[in-house]
Amino acid sequence: MSSDNPSLPATPLPRVGQQTAWRDFLSFTRQRGGFQLGLAIVALSLGLAVFGPHIGPYPTETALPGMPLQPPSWRHWMGTDVSNMDIFSRVIAAPRIDLTIALVSTAIAFAGGVALGVISGFFGGGRGVPKLLSEGIMRAADIIQAFPVFIFALALVGFRGPGTENVIAALAFLNIPYFLRITRGAVLQVRERPFVEAQRCAGNSEWRIAFVHVMPNALTPPLANISPTIGFSILLTSGLSFVGAGVPVPTPEWGSMIAIGAPNMMTGQWWTALFPGLVLGIVILGYALVGDGLKEFLDPVNKR
Amino acid sequence: MSSVRLLKYASRRLALLPVQLLLVSLIVFVLVRQMPGDPTFLYTGPFATTERVAEVRKQLGLDEPTYVQYVRYLERIAYGDFGLSMRTSQPVVADLRQRLPATMELILYAVVFSVLIGVPLGVYTAIRSKGALNRGVFVYGMTSGALPDFWFALVAIFIFFYKLHWLPGPIGRIDLLISKPQNISGLYTVDALLTGNWPALASASGQLVLPVATLVFIYMSLVLKNTRSAMEDMLRSEFVTYARAAGLPRLMQWRYALRNAMPPIITVTGILTWFLLGGAVLVETVFAWGGLGQYAVQSVVNSDYAALQAVVLFSAVFTMVIFLLVDLAYFLIDPRIK
Repeated sequence: MSSDNPSLPATPLPRVGQQTAWRDFLSFTRQRGGFQLGLAIVALSLGLAVFGPHIGPYPTETALPGMPLQPPSWRHWMGTDVSNMDIFSRVIAAPRIDLTIALVSTAIAFAGGVALGVISGFFGGGRGVPKLLSEGIMRAADIIQAFPVFIFALALVGFRGPGTENVIAALAFLNIPYFLRITRGAVLQVRERPFVEAQRCAGNSEWRIAFVHVMPNALTPPLANISPTIGFSILLTSGLSFVGAGVPVPTPEWGSMIAIGAPNMMTGQWWTALFPGLVLGIVILGYALVGDGLKEFLDPVNKR
Repeated sequence: MSSVRLLKYASRRLALLPVQLLLVSLIVFVLVRQMPGDPTFLYTGPFATTERVAEVRKQLGLDEPTYVQYVRYLERIAYGDFGLSMRTSQPVVADLRQRLPATMELILYAVVFSVLIGVPLGVYTAIRSKGALNRGVFVYGMTSGALPDFWFALVAIFIFFYKLHWLPGPIGRIDLLISKPQNISGLYTVDALLTGNWPALASASGQLVLPVATLVFIYMSLVLKNTRSAMEDMLRSEFVTYARAAGLPRLMQWRYALRNAMPPIITVTGILTWFLLGGAVLVETVFAWGGLGQYAVQSVVNSDYAALQAVVLFSAVFTMVIFLLVDLAYFLIDPRIK
């Protein structure tokens, strides 16, 4: 410390606050092209989720007059599908439903997974009811993760019937164990830190320590996991819709558009399935890049 | 120190299997009860009299308390009775037995090729951490995880079937004009090879190329990334540093490292197999493969609940067996355990 060594010139300590964090973030971003690309894709996808259905040149759920299956042209940038709907208009309208499902289900999974992760991590190895609760939560997570993800998602939607709400419920349910495990891992480290003991001495209840003092310090790993989970959820949603167990047909959704175009791929009308899948892949890549970047930025080991 | 603990762990792991099965069956039981409406009407039709409905409900055991229903359900599946599929009018078990080899053949080849390509590539990129191949592998790792497998399959069909005519179209496991090989293992390529049925072997292999290539492309990065990181860790370890200091040839150092990187590679192969059972669902649908995955999709689309229930239960049992095998493989390759 500088006060112990008066011969050193006094250097101003770096201000720890929001401004510094923001500046750190900007300089981090400037050095990483992949992260920038990811952020741009995510921003664009969010913009399309809000404005997409309104800015396309053609209606998104009604057939146009004329010949179906027109190849890409100046009038139809991505061509038209078998019912002569404009593919470009539908591709940019699709984030509305795909992102709604992904964002809502990820938010639910985050909230549920973090809460359960704090309980199971903080009370694990203790005694009495909280310990049983902690064990029970972990075993339940084991069992949920014993099923192959897509088959379980298919079954959840299958038994409850297709539809947006059921897809959201299935994805939220499936993603809870991931957030749970990540949060638990972080809590197990945080709960050993001295300030937790200090809070205990100050007379705080265990539950208060767990949720008011430990949880905020264990949020970094689950937060960094949000972006890849959104990408993964979009992928699962499109898979479910592809087989007719997700978003019902006329609604513009990437997976169901690929399903509509699938028979045409075998007869040469490549544009019908190519473009929805390409855009879907780019968006998922964007969320993965943002996730990787945030993980690196938030990981204290990798900080300069 | 670890051998006793690991042995203990493994025996506990085996003892856990029945418990896991019970819990999984409970989950599936609860899942089936998520079904909207009253299943009685699936059998009586919507216009049955109240007496008839009550009678059928009694026949189905639906008038009993839920825990009694669960015990009955356990009894039935213990005897291998999963009910009739409403779509195929066959016992579900017969349907599964018919379709299982198709899926297993697909997964088997996908795992074999993923390991044959992914492990050497992972080792190579760990040893040479620079160069074009490394950058290519990085880009591949990013993109393969983002692309939907069913879309990749469709694009591959367009290119290799429609445009280039190199490979057969998505019409299932074997050309319609070629008779199926005699049923021994159920895997067409294996049976054709055993019986010397060359036309069937050629056709079945040709049909396998695109679905297997799709699965390998999308899921191999899992093996590749994990092999690379395990190998990198081992190359940095003290015993490899010592081998280097002792002047052992490079090849020998790499062999030591790879030998010790095996456990994580085996684990990830298990995880890959587990992933592929889910991944096969969509790829099977695209290629009209007629396996378990396509069966699952058809049961969802047609509300064939008995079939769906059996597939879900099977997939969980499959998962448990895979991870059990992974644990046992540890015993075989880690001499410290013996």
